[in-house]
Amino acid sequence: MLEAKIDMKDVIKYVSMIVLVMVALGGCKKGGGPGEKPTGTEQITICFAFQDLETGFWIAAHKAITQTLKERGIKVLERNGNEDANRQLEQIKDAIAQGIDGVILIPQDGESAVTIVGVCNRAGVPIGVFNRPPTNRSNPTLAVVADNEKITEQAVAYMAEEARKKFEKTGKKVTPLIVCGDLGDRNAVARRQGFMNVIEKNHDIFNPVVEVASKWDASTCLANLEAGLQANPNVDLVFTSSDFLYPQVRAVLEPIGKWTKRGEDGHVILGGIDGDTEACRLMQEGYVDATGVQDLFFEAKVLMDALLEAVGAGQKAPEKWIDDPGFALTQGNIGERQADMWGCKLLGEK
Amino acid sequence: MGDTILQFENISKSFFGIHALRDVTFSLERGQLLGLIGENGAGKTTLMNILGGVIQADEGTMRMKGVEYRPRNPAEAAKAGVAFIHQELNLFTNLSIADNIFIDRFPRIGALPLINKKAMRSRTRELLSGVELEVSPDTLVERISPGERQLVEIAKALGFGAEIMIFDEPTTSLTARETEQLFKIIEQLRAGGKSIIYISHNLGNVLHLADEIVVVRDGAVAGTGDKSEYTIDKMVSQMVGRDIDQMYPARTAGPSDTVALEVKDLSQSGIVKGISFSLRKGEVAGLFGLMGSGRSELARIIFGLDPFERGSVKVGGAERKRYTPAESIEKKIAFVTENRREEGLLMEAPIFDNIALVAMPDYTRGLMMRFVEKKRIFGAVGDVAESMRIKTASLDRQLAKNLSGGNQQKTVIGKWLLSKPAVFIMDEPTRGIDVGAKYEIYNIINDLAAAGTGILFISSELEELMGGCDRILVMSNGQIQGCFEKGDFDQAKILHAAFKGHKKHGVA
Amino acid sequence: MSLASSKEGKDVGTRIGQGLGLARRLLLSENFVLYISILYFLGLWIFIPRIASAGNLGNISSNMWPLLTLAIGQMFVLIVGGIDLSQASIMGITSVVGGLVMTSRLDPTLFSKNILWGVIISENGGMLGGSPAAVPVGITAMLIVGVLIGMLNGIAVAKLRMPAFMVTLVSMMFFSGLAIYLTRSENIINLPRIYTAIGQEAFWRVPYSFFVAVALAAAAHIVLSRTLVGRWFYAVGQNVRASVISGVPAARVTIYAYIFSGFCAAVGSVLYSARLEAGRPTLGQNLLLDIIGAVVIGGISLYGGKGKVLWAVFGVLFFTLLSNSLNMLDLSFYTVDIVKGSIILLAALIDVVRTRLLAKGGAA
Repeated sequence: MLEAKIDMKDVIKYVSMIVLVMVALGGCKKGGGPGEKPTGTEQITICFAFQDLETGFWIAAHKAITQTLKERGIKVLERNGNEDANRQLEQIKDAIAQGIDGVILIPQDGESAVTIVGVCNRAGVPIGVFNRPPTNRSNPTLAVVADNEKITEQAVAYMAEEARKKFEKTGKKVTPLIVCGDLGDRNAVARRQGFMNVIEKNHDIFNPVVEVASKWDASTCLANLEAGLQANPNVDLVFTSSDFLYPQVRAVLEPIGKWTKRGEDGHVILGGIDGDTEACRLMQEGYVDATGVQDLFFEAKVLMDALLEAVGAGQKAPEKWIDDPGFALTQGNIGERQADMWGCKLLGEK
Repeated sequence: MGDTILQFENISKSFFGIHALRDVTFSLERGQLLGLIGENGAGKTTLMNILGGVIQADEGTMRMKGVEYRPRNPAEAAKAGVAFIHQELNLFTNLSIADNIFIDRFPRIGALPLINKKAMRSRTRELLSGVELEVSPDTLVERISPGERQLVEIAKALGFGAEIMIFDEPTTSLTARETEQLFKIIEQLRAGGKSIIYISHNLGNVLHLADEIVVVRDGAVAGTGDKSEYTIDKMVSQMVGRDIDQMYPARTAGPSDTVALEVKDLSQSGIVKGISFSLRKGEVAGLFGLMGSGRSELARIIFGLDPFERGSVKVGGAERKRYTPAESIEKKIAFVTENRREEGLLMEAPIFDNIALVAMPDYTRGLMMRFVEKKRIFGAVGDVAESMRIKTASLDRQLAKNLSGGNQQKTVIGKWLLSKPAVFIMDEPTRGIDVGAKYEIYNIINDLAAAGTGILFISSELEELMGGCDRILVMSNGQIQGCFEKGDFDQAKILHAAFKGHKKHGVA
Repeated sequence: MSLASSKEGKDVGTRIGQGLGLARRLLLSENFVLYISILYFLGLWIFIPRIASAGNLGNISSNMWPLLTLAIGQMFVLIVGGIDLSQASIMGITSVVGGLVMTSRLDPTLFSKNILWGVIISENGGMLGGSPAAVPVGITAMLIVGVLIGMLNGIAVAKLRMPAFMVTLVSMMFFSGLAIYLTRSENIINLPRIYTAIGQEAFWRVPYSFFVAVALAAAAHIVLSRTLVGRWFYAVGQNVRASVISGVPAARVTIYAYIFSGFCAAVGSVLYSARLEAGRPTLGQNLLLDIIGAVVIGGISLYGGKGKVLWAVFGVLFFTLLSNSLNMLDLSFYTVDIVKGSIILLAALIDVVRTRLLAKGGAA
């Protein structure tokens, strides 16, 4: 409230607080200098920073990474950024201040990955990025990436073959639909690109592509997919940018009689990418024709090996980009290659 | 009459080292009505709060029917049979009468968690007929008049078996007819064996109703006695501690000839019609009328809060163009509304912030940002507070909500004083205020008039208008029905004018 | 409390009263939240010594300042009795606007389908990509957008009399959507080094964001305590009817409050965007809980009419400390949110208790 005189008491208090805080800041220019580590201990601490666990892929990835680390006697600090890049940044900075040996990161998007990698580099803490690569290589980093575009191409190529067979039988062009992921996610963009590449190559048998946005959210996917099929009821090829959306696809196709197995009436040529347990089951049952597979276990193992090697060698800012070539599991090769798909492996364990 | 139902023995209470009550001792007999009078700040409310369990006494004892009575909270007091009918009624306006009455003890259907609405309604009807209120139990409280709401409160108190009922300023918002009805009910309560403590500034009513009178002054009992021993003058002098020769201070100067405010043919359909009058400098013009006659509405229109269809308002000879409060203030019009809590004060702010509010722009300097000249305004506010005798420990720490009614009203008036108005519209400025503070406000009005301010004094108390005005305008049904000069004040004639064209039923 | 009349009762009572008196004085003190923060910090130090490490203190500090800028803006709106839910989306849209002006290079694969492609953005960046004027113009543009949105909010609330909650909620959804539409969900990187330095670098060990936040806080404090419009903010928040009758331009005052809130959100956006080195349409999405939580903990009433800059500072300090400590304690994300929510609830309850105690001190 309005004070009668200038309240020196408050001013002094305010100023002294600021001084206190400034003094406390001593020694940290960029916030997050490496914390003091207990010397001579063998226990390694790794901070595993991820973003929610919304799909089967991420759940499996989380499990794979944390289990492997724990098996090796490594202390794991888990941090969930809840899809907020700023929060993830703060979490990692806090972890660094706590004194960790390395970071495994699943970033919100490629851009924040660049920033976070930069922070770790400056703090001298080695970092490995899993599956969602930084947008550019301005900051040296360890990363394992799957070539989403190529893997999608492989899966869609098989689907296109099936479409061509259909075209030759009926003489009618096939109407393709793609459920896109959140185009802020590099991987989603690459998958869409891979799909479009194959459609382009076979443009003679395809009608224009119907695009449905999912923003990597199940309810958004459901709503938009319903609208998409209302507007284009003759869709007979559907590709989903991630297997976790199969339930939504089913929910929309089934009532209109398009959720049937291969060889049955009304069968829509169906494909996806990720390779989770649901996709495996659906392929085994014959609903899905092809699935692009990121080799999850390979990616996890390879990243951890590289990171721990860097930690052991005392590297502060290791750089290595590892490719996961992946493959496409199709109804053509399901017999031989099914065991390679991580979703089928997990399904078998159940 | 006969047995003592309630005794106060040496009750004392202090707040932050200041004595609010000192050694208060008196008793209440069964079936008796005790009039408790005193200036605001004398301690009546504190005493009643102790009785009602809101606060606890520091020393002393209360006894009910001979047994020590020390309620720790209002619920315990209620259980012991003490009911408090407050000045500000504690009803939920958005609920029905029945809901309000049973708000803390809804009857259930057996053991189920369902409300037995039928039982509730019939019991409510019983209670309402006991206070002669013929309204349906399902009526929403916001629909009924203040007088009717009060009857609901009484019914509620009777409903849970109150034996001691405390009435705090019950007639402030009532019409004359409702007041009569209230008194009838009080008579019935007394006949039914209830004991009543009646607090009011309307000394006439107190004298009329009470069996026994207790006068409180500065936290102690200044006098007590049977009704027959008291006159209004004696009540006043015991309350104030000195003899008051007159209720109304003498005027020192008369009105000049210059016109300060001129209203011509002001009309707004359904509210006012064809209002024309002039207010001269230094003149105190009273505006009398019954509730619903349109006086407050007229004031709001003149000040620019509400629109009008026809007519004009001229201040100091110049016609107004934009009718907004800001422009009114610019033209040096001040407006003390009848509702100081809701429209006059920032309750959560200290006295200083309140008094400084209107005139603050005059105490600033700077171009882009107006910086407040603290020293200057603090001095000015201090002067005003002193001249109005606002008693307070600290101007910038004492919050408005903790002031007595009189001090609150003085704060509101003080706020306008600081802007040095030429025209002062006051709507019911002495409502809910004790005798001593009223006198001070009359003095303030006189001083303002002597300094040349034109004052429009709106009031429902004819006596105070007759005691202090140069002229009384009478409004009824949205129109001016009569104008009486100082020498010709005739109560009967004025009331007659006030009833002319008066609608039978006032709106809630 | 009714003291028993016996002597022994009085002695014990007095001693308890003295102890309670100290606690009570602390509780009622204006700097209550500061004391709690200090106590909490000391308590944590015992269990997690690392919390006092230079690195961690630096983190607390660098997290505090951007949040403070937002809290100050929110405080102004709360004081006039409203609320500004759109601060988060103002951050997003201004972050995007800034990015579009300042970026020096844009990836065609990501941005070529953008409606602004070829119009004001191209492969060579945004409007002023590469030019030395990029940063000042960019930041100015961000601030202007913040002010404009604040003005829209204010006009809707003050002139159109729409409830603040609804107006700012709609505002939040609209501008958040607009931000995503303008960039098609892409983040804009390749921002000038000078800009990102604001969020990351320091001057003699004191981060630049500190200076920004403190300057804003000082300005806010001066406005609230020394100027006419500052008094008017409180008056309108406490009783708008009485204020109007007293000649206060209530509508204008309300609009100013929202404009300032928008401005602060833009300033906060500068700091956060610089720190994340990108123009992000989703910036600030999850910050609303933090902002409101910090001001409530600081003791600024959600009902209006009360609030001091210092309280906002303390509230932000405590909240940042809380977040930091919860990170350290290695709890799951959901637990963290539950804890934060409970603390905010507790703060609101404490505020009620304090108000009641303060009121009891001056009855009759």
